[in-house]
Amino acid sequence: MQKSSGKFSVRPRAGISRRAVLATGAAALAVPALSRRAYAQDAVNVGVIVPLSGPNAQFGINSRNGIQLVADEINANGGIKSMGGAPINLVIADATSNPTQAATVAQRMMSQDNVVAVLGAFASSLTLAISEVTERRGIPLLTMSFSDQITARGFQNVFQIVSVGSQIGAATFDYTRALAADAGETLERIAIMYEDTAYGTSQSAGLRQAAADAGIEVAMDEAYPLGITDVSPLINQLRRAEAQAVFPVSYLNDSLLIVRAMRQQGLNIPTIGGAAGYIIPDFRDGLGELADNVLSISPAAYDQAPEYTERFRERFGYFMVHEAQEHAACMGCLHSALEAAGVADPATISEHLRTDLFDEGWATVMTGGKVEFDEMGRNPHASPLMVQWQGGELATVYPKELAKAEVVWNS
Amino acid sequence: MTVQRFLPILAILALIVMVLAPLGLDPRGYEMRILCIMLLFAGLGQAWNIVGGLANQISLGHAAYFGIGAYTSTILLNLFTLSPWLGGLFGMVLAVGFALLLSIPTVRLKGHYYALATLAAGEAMRVIANSWADVTGGPVGISVPYMPGEGLWMMQFSTVLPNYYLFLAALVVICLIFWKIQTGALGYRLRAIKQNEQAAEVIGVDTYRAKLIAACVSAAITAFLGTLYAQFQFFFDPDTVFGIATISVKMALIAILGGVGRLSGPLVGAAFIIPMEEMANSYFGSSAAGLSQFAYGAILVIVILLNPHGLTALIGQLWNRILGKGAPHDRAAT
Amino acid sequence: MQNLLTFLQTLIDGILIGGVYAVISIGLSLVFGVMHIVNFAHAEFLMIGMFIAWFAWAFAGIDPMFGAFIALGVTFVIGMVMQRTLIKPILNAPQVSQIFLTVGLLFALENGALLLFGADYRSVSTSYQTQALTLFSSDAGRLLVPLDKLYAFLMALLSGGALWYFLSRTRWGRAMRATSQDPMAARLMGINTDRMYMIAFGLGVGTTAFGGAVILPYITASPTVGAQFVVLMFTAVVLGGLGSVAGAVVGGIMVGLIQSFSALFLPIQLMNLTLFVIFILVLALRPEGLVARRRA
Repeated sequence: MQKSSGKFSVRPRAGISRRAVLATGAAALAVPALSRRAYAQDAVNVGVIVPLSGPNAQFGINSRNGIQLVADEINANGGIKSMGGAPINLVIADATSNPTQAATVAQRMMSQDNVVAVLGAFASSLTLAISEVTERRGIPLLTMSFSDQITARGFQNVFQIVSVGSQIGAATFDYTRALAADAGETLERIAIMYEDTAYGTSQSAGLRQAAADAGIEVAMDEAYPLGITDVSPLINQLRRAEAQAVFPVSYLNDSLLIVRAMRQQGLNIPTIGGAAGYIIPDFRDGLGELADNVLSISPAAYDQAPEYTERFRERFGYFMVHEAQEHAACMGCLHSALEAAGVADPATISEHLRTDLFDEGWATVMTGGKVEFDEMGRNPHASPLMVQWQGGELATVYPKELAKAEVVWNS
Repeated sequence: MTVQRFLPILAILALIVMVLAPLGLDPRGYEMRILCIMLLFAGLGQAWNIVGGLANQISLGHAAYFGIGAYTSTILLNLFTLSPWLGGLFGMVLAVGFALLLSIPTVRLKGHYYALATLAAGEAMRVIANSWADVTGGPVGISVPYMPGEGLWMMQFSTVLPNYYLFLAALVVICLIFWKIQTGALGYRLRAIKQNEQAAEVIGVDTYRAKLIAACVSAAITAFLGTLYAQFQFFFDPDTVFGIATISVKMALIAILGGVGRLSGPLVGAAFIIPMEEMANSYFGSSAAGLSQFAYGAILVIVILLNPHGLTALIGQLWNRILGKGAPHDRAAT
Repeated sequence: MQNLLTFLQTLIDGILIGGVYAVISIGLSLVFGVMHIVNFAHAEFLMIGMFIAWFAWAFAGIDPMFGAFIALGVTFVIGMVMQRTLIKPILNAPQVSQIFLTVGLLFALENGALLLFGADYRSVSTSYQTQALTLFSSDAGRLLVPLDKLYAFLMALLSGGALWYFLSRTRWGRAMRATSQDPMAARLMGINTDRMYMIAFGLGVGTTAFGGAVILPYITASPTVGAQFVVLMFTAVVLGGLGSVAGAVVGGIMVGLIQSFSALFLPIQLMNLTLFVIFILVLALRPEGLVARRRA
């Protein structure tokens, strides 16, 4: 049933039975470590920490698929040339949905697998926890988590490939206003609803700020609990707010609930989703025709670099979702940095990530076709895109110079 | 000859091992981190044991105290650069306050009702931390500033070695408190409550007072461990410190799986569960999604099915069998 | 006028969602009532029911309202086997061990589903999903009854009614109640209490799976969906009175109404906080729940 059909790099196991390991408890912890260290003399170990269980499992699997694709391509093309063709060995681990566990996993990878860099971990809270561990060891961490906080603490070894949450939120509003203006409509009243998670709060904060800067009334501004089972109160309030456009920031289940409940009540105002649940195949599969014309912001879009992203579709059977694309771009940057460094040394790699320009290979799938990291560790070339569901696919509709399709306003 | 007789010797041996353990390990390494988490959860399990084990008040809301401790010291540290030692003290006071507030409506509840009421209380605290963003930072979470070299007074260290000894010291103190309560008058009253609350009242035990004191002590300890955790992990969010599965249930689980109501229970429980969880993650985490958590759940079920009274009872059972003594069943009830 | 409409709409929404909470909670209450076990893994059967109904819909085109009966049947059997192998050995174990066996089961079931079904979110599309009955319409506003929730509510009533009939009017139902009141006496009267426990557990998880299936038109199935409901289920069951089927219905509807009205007067974010505060207060004042049933 699982979409992933990827080959996993299997780590060698300790040469004793599992029961014996469990029986000896804590003392046995060191045993798998020894055998692992002996392995991979010339392979470069790269840590991948993503949620493979819990509510974010699907996004974690997508992320892993994206990274796996790039790593396999690198190895098929002769590995890292400056290191004598050393292959990349992905060390993949489950971050679960618990930041404490995620940090422990990062620690394990650094101590036992000697990873030269870590990629992950989709959810901002997990990435923040991991960064506290990697930073103290000087291991570079490449991430596509949005939270502003990740690169706001002055860390030297954290690299955020996407725009931060507040920028994404602001872009959501600005793009929508421009699209409305093109359609001859002036936005005066909008509604914001968001789940009360790190992602929902930081993105809606950017949206709210942009609306305030533009002097536009936010007629409804409501947070709701994650895992809400009935969105009627939200939609009732939306109906009373008489907004011209609604900005729901949510994961999948809520996004389906919200769109369906709006249609039930005959509300047909433009819906501009906040990435996450709005731009995955399950959204289209769940809503069918209702998905058509729903807009969403996205930190990256697969139609921007089809020559790369179609390889993902070929292998995994579904379009390259944004988290897979951004993680692939992270892997692309890391590949270039490894080539430039020529040694499997985290400090040197980190130095190259900080100073180099990445404009070839998978790094080009990000907007602008290139990636650089500034002194904060942010990518100044990243800019969000507005995408729209058209005929079962996502099409970039704004900014105009990057658009691949005409927008359909007023669904 | 029972296990009991060897306990003091065992305890001293274990303590010596724990004090010396870090010597051979990388002070910033993975094994140290696991040991730290093990000590932390052993302490949490022991704190829970005071109410859950001695008085059989099955609390599933202890994360409320843990989160209060973590948040109080971190907020005070961020705002006033206050030492986490003092912040932790404030956290303890607030946690005791919350314990008293919660005890007013729940202290008379029994069994499942008490469990579910405390569960709801923990969840209520999570919702508050999530919504009160001006103070807590909301769902985005909160970071402890990294100030290496500030040392013991600010609980800032460049390796986890000092954290390890802090956790170890805390655990020893908590175990002493537990032992003192267990063998003292309060422990006697709490056990009377556990066996038959009505009968205890008839013979003149102030059950209300006994339960209240136990709840407050347990809350204060849990809150201080929350502060230690914050200074060890450096970042947390409401879901982590107020989590049902990650804190509330886990600390109870550790006490119960080890052997509820016994001094050694949480120690055995933590020494089993934390490494087991790690191994499940390490061995299965990279293969199929969900396999590591599945293995974790399955092992819990198997252990309970092997002996519902926990690992200590299971070990005792094996011990007796080795020495050729029968009838291990009655031992578990003590 | 507008205020009245808002009030009535809130009332309708609360009762409709409450009915669904009721049906998924009845099973939990039944298991507690008969076996005195608090089953933390119970909400996982809601998830299993949803998946069964989803597969029935995806591969055989069966509407979830009918798929619900398949879910009931399959989980009934799973439940009986599980009771025999896992629950029976700990029936006389301390409360704490019982709780943690079911917690372990919760982890195993949730992640077992992830292994079997994958992490994808699965949703059905039906014609009534986006339709609503308009009860009233004027310039001041409208009163709407969403069809998907109405159907789920009616199915909830149906299963609750059937269960009530079974327990109060049939031989086996009476035997089950006898077992719950006094297992020893029941055994002396020739009742096979072991079989009663198996059936009660099967029925308990079956009705919850049934409830999961009927909400599939508006809730997406995924391995972690149970977690969304587990605390709400317990709240509903305890508000009504642990172990009472009628109580679970009252409790479920109360939870729906509290959420719905809290969202009207307070920030929506706080709706569960209101619920938990009321829950703790009700427990403090009436520990036996609102529909108190005196037990021998």
